[in-house]
Amino acid sequence: MHIQKKHSWQLLDSAVAPESQYLRRRQFLRTCGLGLTAAFLPAVVRAAPSGFPDALNASYKLPGAKLTSYDDITSYNNFYEWGLEKGDPKANANRGWKTEPWAIEIGGLCAKPGKYDVNDLIKAIGGIEQRNYRHRCVEAWSMVIPWDGFALAKLVAMAEPKPEAKYLQFTSFMDPKNCPGQRSQDFSWPYTEGLTLPEATNELAFLATGIYGKPLLNQNGAPIRLVVPWKYGFKGAKSLVRIDFVVDQPKTLWTQMAPDEYGFYANVNPEVDHPRWSQKTERVIGGGFFAGRQPTLKFNGYEKEVAGLYAGLDLRKNF
Amino acid sequence: MEIHLFARILANKIVALTILVGVGVCLIIVPTVTNQLGANPVERLLHVSGEIAIWTLGAVLSLTPLRVLFPRSVIVNALNRHRRYIGVSACIYGLIHFSCHLLYQGDWEDVLQSFTKPFTWFGLTGLTILVILALTSNNWSVRKLGGKRWKLLHRLAYLAAIVLIYHQSIAGKGHWYISRWLLFLLVALEGARLVKKFRFKKPAAITDRKSKDESF
Repeated sequence: MHIQKKHSWQLLDSAVAPESQYLRRRQFLRTCGLGLTAAFLPAVVRAAPSGFPDALNASYKLPGAKLTSYDDITSYNNFYEWGLEKGDPKANANRGWKTEPWAIEIGGLCAKPGKYDVNDLIKAIGGIEQRNYRHRCVEAWSMVIPWDGFALAKLVAMAEPKPEAKYLQFTSFMDPKNCPGQRSQDFSWPYTEGLTLPEATNELAFLATGIYGKPLLNQNGAPIRLVVPWKYGFKGAKSLVRIDFVVDQPKTLWTQMAPDEYGFYANVNPEVDHPRWSQKTERVIGGGFFAGRQPTLKFNGYEKEVAGLYAGLDLRKNF
Repeated sequence: MEIHLFARILANKIVALTILVGVGVCLIIVPTVTNQLGANPVERLLHVSGEIAIWTLGAVLSLTPLRVLFPRSVIVNALNRHRRYIGVSACIYGLIHFSCHLLYQGDWEDVLQSFTKPFTWFGLTGLTILVILALTSNNWSVRKLGGKRWKLLHRLAYLAAIVLIYHQSIAGKGHWYISRWLLFLLVALEGARLVKKFRFKKPAAITDRKSKDESF
């Protein structure tokens, strides 16, 4: 047995290193260990959509816009599967809920249906890029988010929709065992959303797999979600498991829950109020107490790119 | 023994005031000062203050049925001493909620916009009632109005509860699922109170006849 005798002149280990480093000594070892392990793992097993080369697409730089902080984007979320309060998704979706491996199925009226691992899907699409998009919630608050992901149009092209396909239906995960909100019968889970085919193939429609170059966190809809920047945020179905090409306009969760308040199109429109509040202005997240509001732009500022999709359509009726 | 001690503590006015103010300190002031309100602080305050206001109103409205249902409970009787404080607190938290609404709207144009919505009218109607009731909650008003009229006026609290529960239930996507618990609670209590009222009358009549029979 080795018995350590302490001499009076011996210094404590903690005395020979700065306290901050000394306290982090185990974390240092852990990081080294993780790094080594990660280096030898095949890409597929790593945190879902990460490890793909990624760069800001210069066409979507959004000059002049101030990006919302990562902290605000990942702590202030509407994701009712995890609770009704804005802080609930961050608190409840990170208690061991697994978003990898994750399969997403593309089906319905298309020539090339298939079930993909998210990483394989990104590979098949040809990688990801970053885009800065305005994000306007129907509750009259807004953010600017640097999304990572790929154009939905690429996925549509890959699936080769049949001529009779008119709409895309998006379906989120269903996991009431792990997901407290889905155990409530008050909502018709799973979350569903829809787009017309021309909307889905518009250059702006996007499938996001990350934010600020990091893989999506669970509270933001990991590992893959829809982003439609000219529409209210609830159109962006999160944690997708299915995308189907269909003939009829899909029934979405919110058009079923409150058809008088949330329409199928849900285009950002300052001229059409929500029954309970005005949509003319929005509160910018991150401004603090006395920041006030800024005017809301038609189609959330993307009028030039998308107004043509709705030519001849009465946007007041088709809200 | 313990329950009597507990009831005596609850009956204390200072204790009641500490609890009623403490809720606001813990849920509004401390999170504001320590920057714990999240990414949209005014919205958070708006929701929290409204939530406190409506549950405080629910608390004061549940006191009457509780007293009818449990007339001998020392706890219920202790709480019933604070009806005025609890009611006025509901009004004050409602006023804080309204201030948050003004701040949330940002400028007067947006405030005016918000007044075009029935959703806002319901909240304002409820708050106006609460303010009237709070202003007439003092002894002087009871004397001036006379007990009967004062009581009639203060029945408006039920109307306030109805419009405010409706106001909350439509406040956000899915808010009905929160506010219905308060509605169910109050309806259950009032229902039980009515049941007790009628059941109390019937047996009384029967015993009356029985005692007559026995006297023969």
